Amino acid sequence: MIAPDVLERLRALRRSGRVAFLAETYYHSLAFLVPPPELAEEVAMHRKMLRAEFGASPTMLRMTELAYSDDLARFAESERFRGMLAEGWEGALRGQSPTYPYCAASAPTVALLLRHYPLSDDVGFRFSSTGWSEYPLTAEKYARWLAATPGEVIGLFMDFETFGEHHPARSGILEFLSALPSEVARHPGLHWSTVEEAAEIPPRAPLSVPYTMSWADQNRDLGAWLGNDLQRSAFEAVKKVGMVARQSADLEILSDWRKLLTSDHFYYMYVSGHGADQGVHQYFSSYESPYDAYANYMNALTDLRRRALDRLGVPVLK
Amino acid sequence: MVGWEFPPSHTGGLGVHSYEMTRELTRLGHSVTFLTPFSGPFTPVPGVTFHYPGEAVAGTGPEYPPAYWAGETPGSPFGDSIDGYNAWVEGLSGLGSVDIVHVHDWFGTVGARALAARLGRPLVMTVHSTEYDRSLGHPWERILHREQIGISAATRIIAVSRHLRQQLIDRYSADPEKVRVIYNAVRPTERLERIDPTKRFVLYVGRLAAMKGVDTFLRAASRIADVFPDVLFVIAGEGPEYARLIHLATRLGIGDRVMFLGKVSDEEREMLLSGASVFVLPSVVEPFGIAALEAMAAGVPTIVSKTSGVAEISSSLFRVDFWDVDEFASRIAELLEYPTLRATMGDEGRWEALREGWPERARETVAVYLEAMRAEGMPI
Repeated sequence: MIAPDVLERLRALRRSGRVAFLAETYYHSLAFLVPPPELAEEVAMHRKMLRAEFGASPTMLRMTELAYSDDLARFAESERFRGMLAEGWEGALRGQSPTYPYCAASAPTVALLLRHYPLSDDVGFRFSSTGWSEYPLTAEKYARWLAATPGEVIGLFMDFETFGEHHPARSGILEFLSALPSEVARHPGLHWSTVEEAAEIPPRAPLSVPYTMSWADQNRDLGAWLGNDLQRSAFEAVKKVGMVARQSADLEILSDWRKLLTSDHFYYMYVSGHGADQGVHQYFSSYESPYDAYANYMNALTDLRRRALDRLGVPVLK
Repeated sequence: MVGWEFPPSHTGGLGVHSYEMTRELTRLGHSVTFLTPFSGPFTPVPGVTFHYPGEAVAGTGPEYPPAYWAGETPGSPFGDSIDGYNAWVEGLSGLGSVDIVHVHDWFGTVGARALAARLGRPLVMTVHSTEYDRSLGHPWERILHREQIGISAATRIIAVSRHLRQQLIDRYSADPEKVRVIYNAVRPTERLERIDPTKRFVLYVGRLAAMKGVDTFLRAASRIADVFPDVLFVIAGEGPEYARLIHLATRLGIGDRVMFLGKVSDEEREMLLSGASVFVLPSVVEPFGIAALEAMAAGVPTIVSKTSGVAEISSSLFRVDFWDVDEFASRIAELLEYPTLRATMGDEGRWEALREGWPERARETVAVYLEAMRAEGMPI
């Protein structure tokens, strides 16, 4: 185990009764894009792990990279989830405000809580950006912005790494975080709530998202993972290997295959069409270039396919 | 411009560079007098005048051995011929009004320095490669000396890559304030349809000199030849390593899978590029590597050694340590195996290679000329 003390702290949080755990896929995967039963299995694995480690039984679901669509809402309904999280993206809201709860048009029992991306990104992206006109961001100022935001619920959703990695400790992010609760408490109109509590507020309207929306890049679609030929070709290839991996009935092979479904692999293969926006993707990439990422991925996949075929007793043809 | 080779007879990047640069300079309205030890023929460029020793009597220009091989062959080009050429450069008259004396590499530095001094004009030197690199660490002292003369005397120095610039600073004590980087470029060509997509080959184009690391290409080829029985390995170019490389291919057991084409014409090179699946430039030393940029411009996915100057301006290629035979073999195999990788890298590489061209490089060069004139306190 890499960091048992982190697990212990999460357990303590759970015991405080002040946090809700979210259900998602056990792997940080694009399982929602491969044929059933993959998605249901990975969500079940994750639920089982949360129960075993934390005694938690989450009622809210969120997908890798905050993916959401009408189809995913139907999936959440079939798995008896109370609701899902999604990006508060103008393209989907069509003039409505992200600061109210909605429900899925495709599955009205599924509550939808939307991420307020400008306020989330103020902390997640802009906090340590000295060129930002609001720099430095104080907890007092941020609480004022929250109080001045009309609506019923503000979805603040950022990566765990925001606090200490994307913004290192010397940026003051940890002091900001610890000062925020008391600053928020100064405003009578604000109080904290878990996603499970917020999901009980009656929805304002049904929301329909016929395509898959995410929280990434300018277009908030799946372009960051499946936008170019390298990514699509790798994804088609991993889907095919999935069939033999399942047939092999070898748990180790299946587990390795699921790791290859991890969204980051595809993110590293991002080629932005002539250089623009390459920066953000390259920042998070462990490869020198998207071509390296693709070639290494395909090599690993080829190897896994061979293992699965060997298990099935299929002879080498090449 | 005190030059060396000029098309149609050229062996390396310097000839291409001289042709494209003089062409763009004249397009910008400048006139160029090109001095060369060779008697031609020269591909005509409007606005460019050629001079060579003995030109008064047609066809009597001295024959000079190709100097780029000088450090690698027993017969060296030293002696009266070089001094004679430099003396001829120094004493040239009737050049009209000259703004800048621009010398390329080592051969004409002594004459160029003297000519610049006599005319009272700034000297600019472009370094395309150094003697340390060409000789793989066994330099001819007299060539080093001539390089040093140019680098010390020039008001501004142009290096064809950042890597080379650093070398000029470290090894020749060039003043960092005086060294500018101007990369090479390629001219856009029509993208030819692939000759026959069922015939696949991996291509090397370049001189067969020790610094080019063609050994590595052959050793990498031998590791994957059995895996890709339909693939040929094609080596286009000539040079002192020719015989040794043929022996090496045979010894590696891939004699029947490697084609040595010898020197190819520009047209043949374009045809080769239109058909190649992968281009490899495994140079031990490659100050720029224009051949790789040409391959990219033709849409061929390209693998270069990490030290290549071309690796500084593009990320749409694979970069490998020049000694890493296994990694070259892996990269070639990956490009042969994955068509999407080939297509995407080919398309992006083509775009990157053609994003800027010789016109941009010529404007950058003129900016260096102006800088040199300003530094010498001359009116512009």
